[in-house]
This record gives sequence, C-alpha cells and structure tokens, in this order.
Amino acid sequence: MELVNIFIRSIFIENMIFAYFLGMCSYLAVSKKVNTAVGLGMAVIFVLGVTIPINYLLENYLLKAGALSWLGPDLADVNLGFLSFIMFIAVIAAVVQLVEMAVEKFSPTLYSALGIFLPLIAVNCSILGGALFMQEKDFPNIGQATVYGLGSGVGWFIAIVAIAAIREKIRYSNVPGPLRGLGMAFIITGLMGIAFLSFSGIKL
Amino acid sequence: MVNKESNSYTLIFSAVLVVLVGVLLTVVFEITNTPYEKSVEMEKRQNILSAALGKALSREEADGLFTKYIKDSKVYNAQGVEVQGQDAFNLDLAKELKKSESEQLYPLFVFQDGEVTRYILGMRGTGLWGPVWGYIAIESDLNSVFYANFDHKGETPGLGAEIKQPIFQDQFGLDKGKRIYNGSEFKGIVVEKKGRTSESSPEFAHVVNGISGGTITSDGVSYMLQKYLKAFDAFATKSGLKGSNVQAQLHLNASTQNP
Amino acid sequence: MSTETIAAVKERKPLFTAKDRKLITDPLDDDNPITVQVLGICSALAVTVQVKPALFMSMGVLFVLIMGNLVVSLIRNLIPSRVRIIVQLVIVAALVTVVDQVLKAYAYDVSKELSVFVGLIITNCIVMGRLEAFALANKPGPAILDGIGNGLGYSFILLLVAVVRELFGSGTILGFPIIGEWALNLGYKHNGLFVLPPMALVIVGVIIWVQRSRNQKLIEAN
Repeated sequence: MELVNIFIRSIFIENMIFAYFLGMCSYLAVSKKVNTAVGLGMAVIFVLGVTIPINYLLENYLLKAGALSWLGPDLADVNLGFLSFIMFIAVIAAVVQLVEMAVEKFSPTLYSALGIFLPLIAVNCSILGGALFMQEKDFPNIGQATVYGLGSGVGWFIAIVAIAAIREKIRYSNVPGPLRGLGMAFIITGLMGIAFLSFSGIKL
Repeated sequence: MVNKESNSYTLIFSAVLVVLVGVLLTVVFEITNTPYEKSVEMEKRQNILSAALGKALSREEADGLFTKYIKDSKVYNAQGVEVQGQDAFNLDLAKELKKSESEQLYPLFVFQDGEVTRYILGMRGTGLWGPVWGYIAIESDLNSVFYANFDHKGETPGLGAEIKQPIFQDQFGLDKGKRIYNGSEFKGIVVEKKGRTSESSPEFAHVVNGISGGTITSDGVSYMLQKYLKAFDAFATKSGLKGSNVQAQLHLNASTQNP
Repeated sequence: MSTETIAAVKERKPLFTAKDRKLITDPLDDDNPITVQVLGICSALAVTVQVKPALFMSMGVLFVLIMGNLVVSLIRNLIPSRVRIIVQLVIVAALVTVVDQVLKAYAYDVSKELSVFVGLIITNCIVMGRLEAFALANKPGPAILDGIGNGLGYSFILLLVAVVRELFGSGTILGFPIIGEWALNLGYKHNGLFVLPPMALVIVGVIIWVQRSRNQKLIEAN
C-alpha cells in the first residue's frame, strides 16, 4: 500500500515538472513533437528507475552519517555526506554512459529511437533532483526508493508528452507574435501546473 | 606533447583530478562542519526556549539562556515509562518516527525560572510535503498550554507554511486558555477547520483553528499534537507528576523518580 | 596634458574592449540565459517565492559559473575530450559542494530554505552549457567575463520573478512590508496564487512576452 501511495504521489502530487520545475531545459527543448517527447520521456523513466536505487545503496552504505558501520564499529562516526553531490552525479553520468552502450549493442531499434537523448539526460535536473529528494525523504528500504524513482519518471513522461501534444495543436492558433514558442510553452506549463495542484493531498 | 587521447593519459588525468577534488572538499568540510553543527544545536535551543518563554528569541540569546532555564530533561516511551541513558536534547525524532509506534521515545524538557516550572515537549510529524516539528510548553498544572512553536521542511508558502507564523502559533498562547484535560478526561489539542467548534463552547479549549488551504499540514500538526500529548499524559500519570499536581513544581525531582 | 595621456593609455590598452563588454551585456538581454537560451530554469523557479532565497541562489550560481568557467578554461588544454563531460560535472559538483557547505555554516537559515536546490546548481544547464560552449574554447579572461555576464543575466530574471511573487503574494520585499495595513483595511487581498509554483512559470512567460515585443528579432517562427 505504501508503495502505491509513493508511486501515485510522485507522479501526480510531487510531479517533477509541475511542482519542482526539474528537467525544464530538456522539457522545453524537446517538446515540439509528440514522438520525440515520448522517446525522451521513456529514457528518463528508465534512467531514474536505475539510478535512484543505486544512489540509495550508496547513500545508505557509504555516505550517510554512520553508514559505514557495517565495515566495523570504528567507522560508525564517519560522515561522508559532503561527498554526496559528486557521488550521485558520477553514478548518473556512468549509468547513462553504460545504458547508452548497452542499448546500442542489444537493441539497435531502441537506440535509434532514444540514442540522441541519452547523453542529454546526464544533465537533466530531474535525475539528480530525484536522487537528492530520495536522500531527503530517507526511505526505509530500497523498494520504496525504486518505486519513487519510477514514479517520478512516469510523472515527467506524462508532463512532457502532454505539453508536446498541446504544442503540436497550438501551432494552428493565432498566438501573439512575441509569445509564440517559448513564452506560450511557459504559460501553458503554468496552467497545467495549476491543474495538477488539485491532486495535492490525495492519499491512498 | 603527450597524446591527450591515450588511455593512460585519460586514467592519470582522472586520478589526479579525483585526488585534488577529494582533498579540496575534505578541507572545506573540516572548516565548515563545526559552525554548521553549532547552528543546528543553537536552533534547537532557540525553539525550545521560545516555546518555554512564549516569545521569539534570537539564536544567540537562546544559546546563552538555555542552561539558565532548562534545568532537567527526560526521555520516556509511549507507555509513559521513563527511559534511562537517553539524552533528550540529542534524541533524533526523525529516527524515532521510523520505529513502530509502541517503541518510539519522546523527549521532555523542564523549564525552571524561580517558582515557575513548565514542561516542554519535543514533537515531530508529517505535513503535506515533508516533516513538520515543534515544541509545546505546558504549565506546571500539567493542563494549561503556555505556548507552542512549529517549523517545517517545505510546506507550501502562504498555506501550510503558515504554521510557523505567529498567526497560528499565538493560538497556543496562555491567554487563549487552551487545556489538555477536561476535568480529568484527556482531550489533547486538535487542529480543525475554523468554525467547526463554536468559539464560545467549552470544547473550544481543546481546539485551535487550522489554516485554510493548508488542510493536510493542519491535520499533520493535529495528529502530532495528539500523539505527543497522549504520551505526555501517560508519562505524567505513571511518573506520579500528576498525582502531586500542585506540589509538583516544588518536588519535581523527587516525584519523577518513582516509576 | 594629463588627460591626454590617460586617454592615450586607454586607447592603447583598454581594460574592456567592446567585445569584452558584449560578453557581459549580451546575456542581460539579447542572449539572456533564461529567456533566450532557455537554460537553467530547472533549479531557478522553485526558489523565487521570496527575494532572499532568490538572491542567495543567484550568488551561488554566479560563483559556480565564474569559478567553473575559470577552472575549465585554465585546464582546457589538458582535458581528454572523451571524459570531458564527466570532468566538467566533477568540477561543478565540487564547487557546488563548497557553496553548500559554506551556506550551511555561515548562512544556516538560507541553506535550510534552499535545501536540495543548492545541489541542483550542478545540473543547472546554464553552468554546463557555458562550460561546454564557451570555457572549453576560450582563454580564462573572457571565460570569467562570460561567467559574470551569464550569471547576472540569470540573476536578473530570477530576482525579477521573485520580486513580483513576493510583492503580490505576500506584500513584502525581502521581508519588509511594502503593501501596508491600510491597503488590507481597504479590502486589498494578497494574491495567494503568486506563491504557488505554477505562477513562476506564467511570470517568466510574461517576461518573455514583454522582452520579445521590445526586441522583435527574437520572435520565433511558428
């Protein structure tokens, strides 16, 4: 039940885009067509689903205050928390690289669909943001952390596919010149965010 | 010129970079960690004291006055039994919240200024986005609420975040006459929607108005207050504090020693 | 006589050439990192509910941007191109960790408010974008100027959004009440919508609108 709750919360209430504005750069840059948006969205779900559990293990068995106590009682006082930014970003960069190589080797079709987006993801704020929120939420077990990662990814996916669909249609509308493109994308995202606010407080 | 793209160069470069960065960060951490830990501690003192004194204090003031006023502290479990060997000030409530409810520990601080004694409970719960916490000070009659303060990690500004504003906290002031008991029956303090309980009804002594638009946060605070006050009720009964109600302030140390 | 020599000196070796000046002024308007280059929105908008955190966030980004540009520019000839992105990320992550630690130690309240968003400076696309696009190919001098320019352009938009949101959302600027009691007594109400996250996006949208009506060449083809 707790897992379902975390999943729903991370998709709708704590949506990466609408509540925290994370991953906005690629969200705005790659949302002109639904096809590409779907590709990038899938890649984000995948990378979040993989990196969050890895970072969870790092956080709990290496970085957190007292996390090293499994190596011996002498190390119980060690707090490597200040290294967490570097460790997280290194894991993310490495995983993205590995995923890219693996996908290229084993599934050329998927690679040609996702290929160009994968390198972009290392600097997608939602990935590092997910890791940092995971650290802050302090999940009791790796299952919840993984579900949180997947949920955040799905939330991001929904957001980018929705805006891409709207942007495809809005081309037929008579938007004032200076507002065309970027300006309109911002305002639509704002309106979508207000709509998503109505989810807040849902508990299963 | 060395070949920049050779494997060995890349490896050496990476190794040197990692070592340099590691050394730099360790040095920075060593320099900044002490002031940081001190701020965290001072903030805790500030929150405890401002609940006990019912007024806002600067962090520095609170630091100086803390040992003068906070004379004693206890840790007890949900059944109200005092637990020895625990330091109330350093009790990590975030960790306690993860245990099953019957195993959680609760901190209590005793404020003493001459004849005046107040009990301050440390509390922690969950709001809409993340943790909320606070301190509530109770008069030596173990019934009247003297003051309370709250803080939060990231509630919605302007809505849930209002719990740390005077407009919410002042409802816990002594002049508002909030009480934990109705006669001998435990009631606690409930946060509910404004107007649900009429302000003139006697029940209003156990009710504070929630924040409109911040329902989830208000509910979280309400749950937290009930839980910690209930544990305090159990402790007061078991430790004999309550039996010796009026004399309690004079015989505090003697009375808390009976299990 | 003396003025002449000064002028002559200036002509021979001006402190800032026109090109240098452009490095600073361009990002403020024509090439603004947020409204034109569309970089760095991620970590920015969540800290604009009030001016104070926005100010500290700006300073953090400015610091990281300048130092990152400087460091990467200094070692640009040493970085193997295969591991270039990771090297940049490590340098930025190290600088951000320094900012985070310093804030925690000496501006504790602010660090509480910014919480995880300090860490997100690492993936702030402005930082990576400028490192990749400018610092890797330029000398340290211009790289620093580029950092200052882009940092200021970013701060400008951030503070603008924060001022609007704090003023209309809670009637204060930097915590000082601007809209006084009298206005509230006359029936004025703070607009709670401004403190909610989505309004930040709408405000940026409006800023883009204003900027592009002034500066027609930025208008996108549909």
